[in-house]
Amino acid sequence: MKEIGSIRAEEMVLNIGPQHPSTHGVLRLKVKTDGEIVSEVIPIIGYLHRCFEKHAENITYEQVIPFTDRCDYIASMNNNFGFVVAMEELMDIKVPERVEYIRVIMAELNRIASHLLALGVYGLDIGAFTPFLHMFRDRERILDIFELTCGARLLYNYMWVGGVSHDLPRNFETICIDFLDYFEPNIPEFNQLLTTNKIFIERTADVGVMPAEVAISYGVSGPNLRGSGVKWDVRKDEPYSVYDKFDFEIPVGTGDHGTLGDCWDRYWVRMLEMQESCNIIRQALKAIPDNGDVHAMVPKKIRPPKGSIYRRTESPRGDLGYYIISDGSPTPFRLKMRSPALTSLSVLDEISAGWMISDVIAILGSLDIVLGEIDR
Amino acid sequence: MGLLEHKFQDNVVVASMDKLLGWARSTSPWFFQFGLACCAIEMMATAASRYDLMRIGMIPRSSPRQADVMIVAGTVTLKMALRVKKLYEQMAEPKYVISMGSCATSGGPYWQYGYHVLKGVDLVVPVDVYIPGCPPRPEALIEGLLKLQEKIQAERPLTKKIA
Amino acid sequence: MTADQEKFIADVVEKALAGDMDAINSIEDRSVRAKAKASLVKAKRAAKAQQKSDAPAESDSPNQQETAETQSPLSILLNSTYPDEIIEVLDEGKTIQLHPKQWNEIATFLRDHPEALLDQMECLTGVDLGTEDALQVRYNLHSMKHRHKIEIRINTNRDKPEIPSVETIWRMTDWFEREAYDMYGIVFTNHRDLRRLLCPEDWEGWPLRKDYEEPETYHGIMVPKVKEGWE
Repeated sequence: MKEIGSIRAEEMVLNIGPQHPSTHGVLRLKVKTDGEIVSEVIPIIGYLHRCFEKHAENITYEQVIPFTDRCDYIASMNNNFGFVVAMEELMDIKVPERVEYIRVIMAELNRIASHLLALGVYGLDIGAFTPFLHMFRDRERILDIFELTCGARLLYNYMWVGGVSHDLPRNFETICIDFLDYFEPNIPEFNQLLTTNKIFIERTADVGVMPAEVAISYGVSGPNLRGSGVKWDVRKDEPYSVYDKFDFEIPVGTGDHGTLGDCWDRYWVRMLEMQESCNIIRQALKAIPDNGDVHAMVPKKIRPPKGSIYRRTESPRGDLGYYIISDGSPTPFRLKMRSPALTSLSVLDEISAGWMISDVIAILGSLDIVLGEIDR
Repeated sequence: MGLLEHKFQDNVVVASMDKLLGWARSTSPWFFQFGLACCAIEMMATAASRYDLMRIGMIPRSSPRQADVMIVAGTVTLKMALRVKKLYEQMAEPKYVISMGSCATSGGPYWQYGYHVLKGVDLVVPVDVYIPGCPPRPEALIEGLLKLQEKIQAERPLTKKIA
Repeated sequence: MTADQEKFIADVVEKALAGDMDAINSIEDRSVRAKAKASLVKAKRAAKAQQKSDAPAESDSPNQQETAETQSPLSILLNSTYPDEIIEVLDEGKTIQLHPKQWNEIATFLRDHPEALLDQMECLTGVDLGTEDALQVRYNLHSMKHRHKIEIRINTNRDKPEIPSVETIWRMTDWFEREAYDMYGIVFTNHRDLRRLLCPEDWEGWPLRKDYEEPETYHGIMVPKVKEGWE
């Protein structure tokens, strides 16, 4: 309650969600505002809590893989990838080289698809409808490639412990290179539509600045951390699979338009990452060995030795980690999925104090959260 | 429609009026975008450029007052179930519900050990069309919508109900 | 890799095996540093296998534990500063079991001491150990500067589980501790706002415990799937 002259002003609590036109999922935000200026944002989650960890304690390791798909449903290949990398390290399995390259190609294609969705939806939140349609058109082509390989459009169950479920079809390389040749010239088009658009810059530059120490303390990772200037990427710093054989750059935010660590930087890092993923895919298609049985090292029954492991991989949202405790039986004893979007959401309160309500929507969009992963 | 509903004897004039009303109601149902989980992404893909939903006359509305059809896409949890019921009650008549995906139909892959999952949204709201799949393809969603249109056209809102 | 590089890496690995990690940490070129660290790990594994094959009967003796401790500089550091709080050192010093009492001070020490600088909490996991009648919390820590890791485990009993909260030290643990409270019922003392994160506010029970039973109804809605009558 404040007294300004003879007017009394009170703080208002505004409720956003759980059902709202922004497309991140069922998230509820309790926003305490003074007029239009926000003083506190309290996220309330749990509207999509589907008991993934309870399921994991009662089903076998092979059956866990489709459940991991459904946690972060936009980048399912990367979820699978994280799980099988952790399991293979626990069980000390060395997969054939062809499988490694196939996995990297699929994971990078899914990274491009996930960023296309994130950026398209971000434009939609800000109010731009056209980039959404353009990016979805390109995303449909990637989903066509996935459908050709494993039969599914969104949730694949593709990567198994020790291999992958289907080998690449015969004409995969031509189709993939056709797609990359079509897609890379579109990136300057997206830049014209959104990145250098004056209205977009006004709405996102200098908004929601996240300093690097705050980001590390809150456990933020991935493009959100790189947008604040910290050069941390699990693919380069704790390499897994065959990522150490590729030559690619890690884009870092530079504060081109506005302060370092604002929404525009996080958006720009994702744009540049799509280009880097295209490079990785081209290199992988050249280096992939021609022969190799993708089911050679898949164990008939997964019975890991007793022990525990924590292994993280780079998903499009950040550090995706799996903590697996095994007691020697075919079902996990404890499986915890450390989701990057949960840490990104927890920093929302810290960086949105003092901005206006529509800026809170812009900041939320730049953090790129997926509620399926947060609530598991 | 309230005063005219189910008042008239079955005859030639009323039968044609029924058909006219059925045509008017079914051909442009605006849907209430209730995307919860993975099926929401397929719903967005159906509304996007390749499988265009607007050619059937459907556009997404975010307010329940402006919508005719509620597409429940994704897993409904117990925390969310109370809100689904509230939003359904806020929609204006005539209203229909489509349950998209196997999670909304019967709990989906989470039926066995999910202590927090609602095993089917028809435990809280009455459902008209069920679309199976995990997630259903955009073509499946469009087929479900066309089936809903047939269902709406077969309704006879003016005729007296027999028993 | 050229012969010079191989020799350089061999020298640096020798120094590291003797206990001096600065030589490796000060290499400028990232790929050479990565290669040096990889050969160090290989050398340590070979040494351990050698030890095991040489003296299989000594694997349970305290000597082995001492040599295990000397292999990780972080665990040596912790042992020298807080020797009473350590219950057990496992897995060549990569995992340490602690008493819960002084966890807050140890956490501040681990984050701020210049040789440790563990500023990133990777993951916080609650575990129900089942038959041992104990709940456990496992913390995975990582340093962005020195690039080393450690795992800390803290046990607590099932009837009155309490662990000091570290959410002011690493802000990430704020929500992760709330989740551990929601799933297991572990109370983190001095947490600023400990309430359920994922389940509804009026939910009863601690879901991820091994002895959890589903409720029959929640606000009048059936919880388990009833198979009869589903036509």
